[in-house]
Amino acid sequence: MAGSILITLALAFSIFSMVMYFFTYRGAKNTLNIARMSYHAMAMFVIIASAFLMYLIITHQYQYEYVYSYSNDDLPFGFLLSTFWAGQQGSFMLWLLVTALIGVFLQSYTGKRDDLEPRVMMFFTLSTTFLLAMVSPLLKNPFAYIWAEPMFLETVKINPAYFNAPFMQNFMFNDPNSGQNFVKMSKDLYATLQGAGISVNQFIIHGKGLNPLLQNFWMQIHPPILFTGFAMTTVPFSFAMAALLKNDYKDWVRQSFPWILAGSGILGLGIMLGGYWAYGVLGWGGYWAWDPVENASLVPWLISLAAIHTMIVQRKTQAKGGIGKFVKTNLLLSILAYVMVLYSTFLTRSGVLGDASVHSFVDPGAIVYLFLIIFVGTFLLLGVGMIIYRWRYLESQIVEEENLLARELALFTATVTLGASALIVAVGTSAPIFKQAVETRFYNEMHVPLAIIIGLLNGFSFLLKWRHSSGEDILKKSKFSLIATGVFALLIILFGKVYDIMMILLSVSAAFAFFVNSEIAYKIFTGNKKMLGAYIAHIGFSLFLLGVVGSAAYSKQFEVDLTKGKPVKVLGHTLEFTGYNPIENNTKYEFNVSVKDGDGGGEARVIKPVMFISAFNNSLMREPDILEGFTKDFYVTPLSYEDGSNAENKPQGNAVTLMPNEKTSIEGAQLTYTDFIKPDMSVMMGGGNFQMGAKLTVTKNGKTETIEALMKKEEQGVTFVPVELKDADLRVELTKIDPTTKKAEFIVGKLSMPVITTKPSEVLAVNASTKPFISLVWIGVAIAVIGFFVSTLRRLKESWA
Amino acid sequence: MKNKYIFGGVIAVVFLGMMIFLFTKSNIQYESDFVKVMSSDRTIKATGSWVKEKSYEVNKSERTFAFFMKDATGREMKVIYAGTIPNNFESAQSIVVTGQYKNGNFHAKDILTKCPSKYQDKQKAAANS
Repeated sequence: MAGSILITLALAFSIFSMVMYFFTYRGAKNTLNIARMSYHAMAMFVIIASAFLMYLIITHQYQYEYVYSYSNDDLPFGFLLSTFWAGQQGSFMLWLLVTALIGVFLQSYTGKRDDLEPRVMMFFTLSTTFLLAMVSPLLKNPFAYIWAEPMFLETVKINPAYFNAPFMQNFMFNDPNSGQNFVKMSKDLYATLQGAGISVNQFIIHGKGLNPLLQNFWMQIHPPILFTGFAMTTVPFSFAMAALLKNDYKDWVRQSFPWILAGSGILGLGIMLGGYWAYGVLGWGGYWAWDPVENASLVPWLISLAAIHTMIVQRKTQAKGGIGKFVKTNLLLSILAYVMVLYSTFLTRSGVLGDASVHSFVDPGAIVYLFLIIFVGTFLLLGVGMIIYRWRYLESQIVEEENLLARELALFTATVTLGASALIVAVGTSAPIFKQAVETRFYNEMHVPLAIIIGLLNGFSFLLKWRHSSGEDILKKSKFSLIATGVFALLIILFGKVYDIMMILLSVSAAFAFFVNSEIAYKIFTGNKKMLGAYIAHIGFSLFLLGVVGSAAYSKQFEVDLTKGKPVKVLGHTLEFTGYNPIENNTKYEFNVSVKDGDGGGEARVIKPVMFISAFNNSLMREPDILEGFTKDFYVTPLSYEDGSNAENKPQGNAVTLMPNEKTSIEGAQLTYTDFIKPDMSVMMGGGNFQMGAKLTVTKNGKTETIEALMKKEEQGVTFVPVELKDADLRVELTKIDPTTKKAEFIVGKLSMPVITTKPSEVLAVNASTKPFISLVWIGVAIAVIGFFVSTLRRLKESWA
Repeated sequence: MKNKYIFGGVIAVVFLGMMIFLFTKSNIQYESDFVKVMSSDRTIKATGSWVKEKSYEVNKSERTFAFFMKDATGREMKVIYAGTIPNNFESAQSIVVTGQYKNGNFHAKDILTKCPSKYQDKQKAAANS
C-alpha cells in the first residue's frame, strides 16, 4: 500500500510541477518556486518509493507479486539488487528513478540560464509524468500485491505448516502434464488467510527466484547504465522542444551539447556492457546478435550520434550571425532520439515482438499496450508537430553556401550515414510487427558499405577546414596517414591474409581514420588538451571497427568431443579434458580443460567452462570460458557431458502404451493393463515419498501371472522398478504413467536378450572458436567513451553564453 | 542548388533500393500453420511447441538435434536442427525454428526457445483443464 501511495503522490506532484512550469512560461509570477518545489517533492517520493521497493526485495516480502516473481531468499545481496530491474515493473521504476534524478541536475542547470528552466522543465516533467503513470497502480505497478490477480504458486513456495489447514483443499490444483501441484493465490485465498489470522508473508515463504542468466555481475551494472543512457535522451528532446516553443534557435545547441554528449557516452557504454555480457557470460559466442532488444537500444544511440555531428555545424556556422545550418535536422534528430527510446520500449515491452526475441517480455495486457502507444504517439506528435508549426520560419533562416571540400558537408554526410544505419536497424527490428522477420545478414550486408563510408569520413573530415579547404592542403596534411594506411593495407593482406575486398576496404578506412585522428591528437596533446575529446572518441571508434572486422569476419569455430585424458588438436590449440569439479555449493560444475599452444608443447593454461541444471527453469545452462589475448580470444562453450554412466544396462525391448483394461500382444505374450495403482494423494501433494503404477496380467504359453509395474518417488528421485518373469522370459518396465488419465507406458523385452553395455567414457563436447582482435572492440569502446566525457567537459564550459 | 538535390536524391534512391532489395531477399515469414510450412519451399520461421511425449534425440556423430513440434491444431512435424540442444529447451513454452521443410522433415538452422518470465498462464490453463 505504502509504495502505491508514494507513486501516486509523486505522479500528482509531477503533473502539478508541469502545470506550474507551464504557467511560469506563460508569464505567471510566483509560480516558478512552486514548480521547483513540486519537482523536488516528486523526485523525493520517487527516491523513497525506490528505496522502499529495494527494502521489500531485501527483506523478502513475498506478499508483493514483483518480489515473489523475481527473487528468492537464497539470493546474495548483489543479485537481490538485480531483482530491482529484472522485471518489467522494476525496470520502469529504474528508468523513472534515473530520469527523476537527472531532472534535479537539469533543473539547476537550466535555472541558471535565463528563461530556459520553465520551457525545458515542462517537457521534462511531461516525460516523468508518463513514466510515473506507467508504474502507477493502474498499470505496471511494482507494488501490486500477489493476490490482486489470480496466480498459481508452486507448493514448495508455501509454508508446509499450512498444508493440512482445512481451507487449503479449495485452493490446491494439480497440473496433470507435469504432475506438479499449485496453490492458487487469489483474493479469495487472501480473505481466507485474513480470516484465519495468517499473514501472506507467513504463508508464502519462498520466492520464484531470479533467472540464472541474470545472476551475474553484468546484470548488476548493465541495466542501470543503459537506463541512464535512455533517460539522458529526454534532455536533448526537452531542449529542442524549448527552442521550438520560443522560436529561438541560437542557444539551444550550445546548452544541449554537454547533455547529448554525456548521454551518448553513457548509452554507448551501456550497450557495449550488454554485448560483453552476451559474449563472456551468456555464451552467445559474440557481442552482437542483432537481437531486437539490442537493436532497440542501438537506434536511439545512432540517432544521437547523428545529431551530434550536425549540431557541431550549426554551432560553428552561428558565428557569422543567424541561427546556423542544419537547424531542422538537429531539432528533428534530438526529438527522434527520445521518441525512438520510447518506440523501442514499445517494441520490447508490448509483446509485439513475441516470437522474435530471446528476451522480449511477455504480453503485458491490452491497457499497457495502449498506454505505450499513447506514450510514443504523444511525444512523436508533439515533436514533429512543433517542427511543422515552425517550418516556415525555419525555412526562411536557411543559409545558402555550399562547398564540396568543407568540413560542414563531411559532417552532414556523417549524420546522413549514421541516420541510414539507424533506419536499417529500425526497419529490421520493426518487421515482426508485420509478421515478418529479417535474417541477420540484412543488417550485416547493409552495414559493411556504411561502415566503410563512416571510416573514410572519420579520417577525411578532420583534414578538411571549415567553409573551404584546398586540395593541396588536404594532401599535405594527410601525407603521414596515407603512407601509414598503405603500410597497414600491405600488412593485413600479406600477413593477415585478408583477401575479401569489402573487408580490406573496411579495415583500410578504419585504419586511415585511426592514423588521421592519432596524428592530430598527438599534436593537440602538447597544446590545449580539452580539445582532445573528439579525436579520442574517433580513435576509439576506428579501433572498434578494426576489432569488428577481425572478430566477425575472421572468427573460426569448431565442435569437438573431448574424451577425458585424450588431447585433441583444434584451431591451433591442444585441448585436454581433465575432469570436472562442483562449485558454488554443488549447484554448478566446472569442466577443466587444459589448453596448450600448438601441438602441445609449452605451458598449459586451464579454462573452466561451466554447466549446471538450473532449478529456476529446470534447464541445462552453459557458461563459456575464454582465454583472452590481445591478438585473439580462444572461446570455449560447453555443449554436453557424458559421465560414462551410459555404460549402465539399458532395457531392451519394445515400447508399449496402454490405457486401463487395454490388451496387447507382444513377444508372444498377452499383456492386459488391469488396474491403476493409485498414489497416496495427500502425500503426493506435500511432496513426500509415494508410489504408483499399473497392475498387469501376463499370459504366455497358457500360463497367467499378475504383476505390478511401479514408479517410486523417493528423496533421491524417481525410479522405475522392472519386473522379470523367468517362466515367460519377459522383462516389463514402466517408463511413464499419468495419474489423471492413467495412461501407462512400458518397455517389454525378452529376458534372455543380451543387455547392451556401452563402453564407459567421460566425454565433454565443446564448441571452440577463435576471435581475432576482439580485444580491440572493448578497447575501442572504452577509449570512445572516454572521448565522449572529455568532450562533455569542454562543451559544458562552452554552454555559458 | 539543383545539383545538390539531384545528387542527394540519387544516393537516397540507391540506398533505399538496396535496403528494400536486401529486405525482401533476407525476409522470412512467421508461420504457425504447419500445413503451410510443409507446402512451402522457402525459408520460414515456424512457431509451435515441442511434443514432449515424443522426447528428443541428440545425434552425436552427425551433430544434429531432432524433436517433434506441433502447431495450434496439433499437427506434428519432425524438426532436425544442425547443432546441439539449446539452453532452456525443456522449459520452453513455445519454440520458433528457422529453416526449410524438405523430404518430410523440417531442417532448422536456428532455434529460439521462448521462456517467458511468467508461467502463470500455462499453469492456469493446466489447472483449469
